[in-house]
Amino acid sequence: MTTTVEQRKDFTGDFDTHPMEGAWAGEAIFFLTIESLPQAGTVLNVRVQISADGVNWMDEGTAFPALGEVGHYFVKVRHFGGWLRLKGRVQQRSEAEDESAAAVPATANLSIHLALKA
Amino acid sequence: MERTLAYDGELAKFQPLGHILCYDDFDRGPCGWLNLMPNYTLENLGVRDSIVEKTQWGPIMLSSATFRFPGTHGSMNGTYSLKLATRPVAAPYLQPPAPGSISHAIKRMTTHRKPGLLQFETWYAYTPEQDRWGLSEKDIRAFGICFDLQDAESRSFVGLRYLNSVNGEMKKQWQYMSASDVSDEEWAYGTSGDWCKRGIDPIWYGRRYDDGSTDGFQFVPDGRQELCYNESDDKINWIYLRLLYDMEKKEYVEFQSRDRVFDLRGLSPGGSPPYARIEGLLNPVIWVETDTDRRAFLFVDSVVISMA
Repeated sequence: MTTTVEQRKDFTGDFDTHPMEGAWAGEAIFFLTIESLPQAGTVLNVRVQISADGVNWMDEGTAFPALGEVGHYFVKVRHFGGWLRLKGRVQQRSEAEDESAAAVPATANLSIHLALKA
Repeated sequence: MERTLAYDGELAKFQPLGHILCYDDFDRGPCGWLNLMPNYTLENLGVRDSIVEKTQWGPIMLSSATFRFPGTHGSMNGTYSLKLATRPVAAPYLQPPAPGSISHAIKRMTTHRKPGLLQFETWYAYTPEQDRWGLSEKDIRAFGICFDLQDAESRSFVGLRYLNSVNGEMKKQWQYMSASDVSDEEWAYGTSGDWCKRGIDPIWYGRRYDDGSTDGFQFVPDGRQELCYNESDDKINWIYLRLLYDMEKKEYVEFQSRDRVFDLRGLSPGGSPPYARIEGLLNPVIWVETDTDRRAFLFVDSVVISMA
């Protein structure tokens, strides 16, 4: 069962995706499409999170590599309990390399699919 | 020919008409129900401009109805229900729905019998996301069920909406779908050029009014009813709802919520000129609307669509 969790949505700064229940499934793939990156030098860090209740979240351990190009990407997850979401940050590359650098608003337009299978 | 059917025991909680089109228990999977989306027909799968943003509705999922301390509710006869979940955003009631403030599930079918009685039954429950303390009944704006129907003459939206709360004020009143005599522009919140026609998609279109009515929903006479919200946001109770419609007369017959039957005879949903390429359309739809900046959940245990 595949669900479009986020559709061509602009994300800025820290973000998390719509909480999805998947207790019935044994395996999951998050497909992440970077539809556009309007500003040069934008970098995206995204990781998988799990939850017992859909409200309190913790890192599962799986993460995408740092992404800076338009394209299609995925990560696989197993043994995740009942809930899944992605947690991410969109920022300028200079900001990523130097935490003290002045924050420059960066935006990523993303689509995210979750494919679940028993 | 008289047929004798041995029903699945779990169907005993329904009152189906003689011909069952579908019995969808979401313990078996999505059963053909999916997110309601716009038409992706423009370049790069784009959609047409509209006063209502239709690409951001909250996605559906198979749910075990699990909460922080109660743990897993499961469903009425198993573990999984179909959960509709809005995004945590809402516009004031009089404005067009905010992107993501509604979540819908739709099943796409077509008619295969002569027009007769058509019935929608479901067992459902509702609550907001328990992301804060308190009792949050007022944060659910509304939920409903409907059919999107089209024959050779017209397209009709036939449905019910439980208006629970308007801008935080409890209403608890049932409404039925029936479009007011307004122009297409008025139907689209005073904008011109929207593709939508009067009477189509009243879940989103049709101006809203302070009393909770809209140009697409009329109040059911004596239609106030208490439902079982329960005493805490993490407790859900399964509730029965049944809508009976006469496709031949194009009139409502009645609906049942919990143990109360509401007479709707003589009331018409109205009709709009048919759209291209959808003759025979028979699409049941379920939806939930949030009233504030938090996710509203509608859990659907099961659905039976039947005809006679």
